[in-house]
Amino acid sequence: MPAPDRDWGWATDYDDVSGAVAVCGVGESDHTKASGRTATEIVIQAAERAIADAGLTPADIDGLMYSQFGGRLDGNDFHAHFGTRHDLWESHAGGGTRQAATAPYEAAAALRSGQARYILNTFGVAWATQRSQMVGGPGESHAQERFKQNLEVPFGWFPQPVYFATVARRHMHEFGTTQEQLGAVAVACRRHANHTPAAVMHDRPLSMDQYLASRPIVAPFRREDCCLISDGGGAYIMTTPERARDLRTPLIEVAGVGLGNSVTGVHWAEQPAFTSTPQVFAAPVAFRMAGIAPGDVDVYTCYDPFTIHTIMQIEDSGFCEKGDGGRFVADGGLDFDTGRLPTNTHGGLLSHAYVLGIAHVVEVVRQLRGEAGAQVPGATIGVYGGYTGPQAATLVLRRV
Amino acid sequence: MTVHDAFPLPDVSWEPTAEFWAGAARGELRIPHCARCGRASWYPRERCRTCEHTEFAWRTMSGRGTLFSWVVVTHAFLPHFAELVPFVPGLVALDEDPAVRLATRIVDVDPDTLTFDLPLQVTFRPLSFAGVDGAVPAPLFAPA
Repeated sequence: MPAPDRDWGWATDYDDVSGAVAVCGVGESDHTKASGRTATEIVIQAAERAIADAGLTPADIDGLMYSQFGGRLDGNDFHAHFGTRHDLWESHAGGGTRQAATAPYEAAAALRSGQARYILNTFGVAWATQRSQMVGGPGESHAQERFKQNLEVPFGWFPQPVYFATVARRHMHEFGTTQEQLGAVAVACRRHANHTPAAVMHDRPLSMDQYLASRPIVAPFRREDCCLISDGGGAYIMTTPERARDLRTPLIEVAGVGLGNSVTGVHWAEQPAFTSTPQVFAAPVAFRMAGIAPGDVDVYTCYDPFTIHTIMQIEDSGFCEKGDGGRFVADGGLDFDTGRLPTNTHGGLLSHAYVLGIAHVVEVVRQLRGEAGAQVPGATIGVYGGYTGPQAATLVLRRV
Repeated sequence: MTVHDAFPLPDVSWEPTAEFWAGAARGELRIPHCARCGRASWYPRERCRTCEHTEFAWRTMSGRGTLFSWVVVTHAFLPHFAELVPFVPGLVALDEDPAVRLATRIVDVDPDTLTFDLPLQVTFRPLSFAGVDGAVPAPLFAPA
């Protein structure tokens, strides 16, 4: 087994923001297959629900975070929809993926300086609709990258299911991870989706036998190893803990944030630690900031475009030793009620919705409030692991 | 999707990988090496990851390598690949420096018989895709 190679990335130097930010409102759009909606319509629905959840009005929102990638609610769209007129602080350091984990870090500075009092972070996609129109979708940005165009695509090493099935097979070789262990991730997510009425795969049970009997599409991956393509989005509102105490929702505060980076970008063939994610750099920072150990975490959500990502991030975040992730997830290890680490309790990208992590943060907040469908009893510390490939981030939330 | 006209064929004129494809047209596997520390630099980058040097010399490799990992594609993710499935994209670690992993296709073998670290040899074959003009010789790998 190769020694972990720490030369392939680094942790971003983060100041301590523990206790500086609260998440006081969460909302999701309807999650659907191709719906004909635009990403902006989707994000507005999620934003309306988050504002109502917090017990605020649109006029209270004075900060917007989003990313320049995917659907967003910027100042023009916000005012056009809500009919408001006031100054809005805006930041592109929000949205989904790893930014759904690090947006609170960026928000902390704006809350501290008084630039904003209630900051709304949004993300959404209409990729199911766009796919039926043959535009957009998760492969597009990769197809546009020139090293990929010239060194990967011509050989058919493209797109993401191919990259990560290659990673999964190598993980199986290095650590003895099995097809059944990959399947255990998919089965747990589907079970959780069946406790979550809003999940796209609600009422679509998946057994291990069904998983193993299904045909590979990019061996060793079956379709169930791969995330959904869906239309949907989410939103959450951040403020100071002092203000959050006066709102209707239980106080959920940001306890720690960490960001890890890979030098190899989106070219996984180059990554020396081929079967690792930058969570090896991110998670220790977030856990140290929060003053917790991995064993203190009650509920975990992680960015799970493919089953192998859940296994790798569980290892890389220190929930088990590197290489033991397959055994950790097996035999119901991720189940919300009896698992070692209740994980992706809404169904994740695999079975809830492919909204790139924003709903993972919403789910953690609901778990800590005791409002989740697959509720972990008494959960007080919840973690989201965000992942983009070149970067990974860890967000620790705590019910106060 | 804004990609070049030959997609999914390579753009053989794109400077950072032009010598890789020019070599393939001559039947040579060409990889850039740092002019100072001598380490292979793959993918081609502006700076050597080992010593930060910015000049490189392309060398012809033996074409021998071992199988690092692979997949068996039975679903065409691009319409261009529909006639190719099933096919076996994979990563090959070159014998001269196993840190160099080429994305390539494994050919002339039953995928069920593939094993990790299987010795492989480069073979240059023309790539072509339905609906795309032209063919480009490319380094594929077969059991040695």
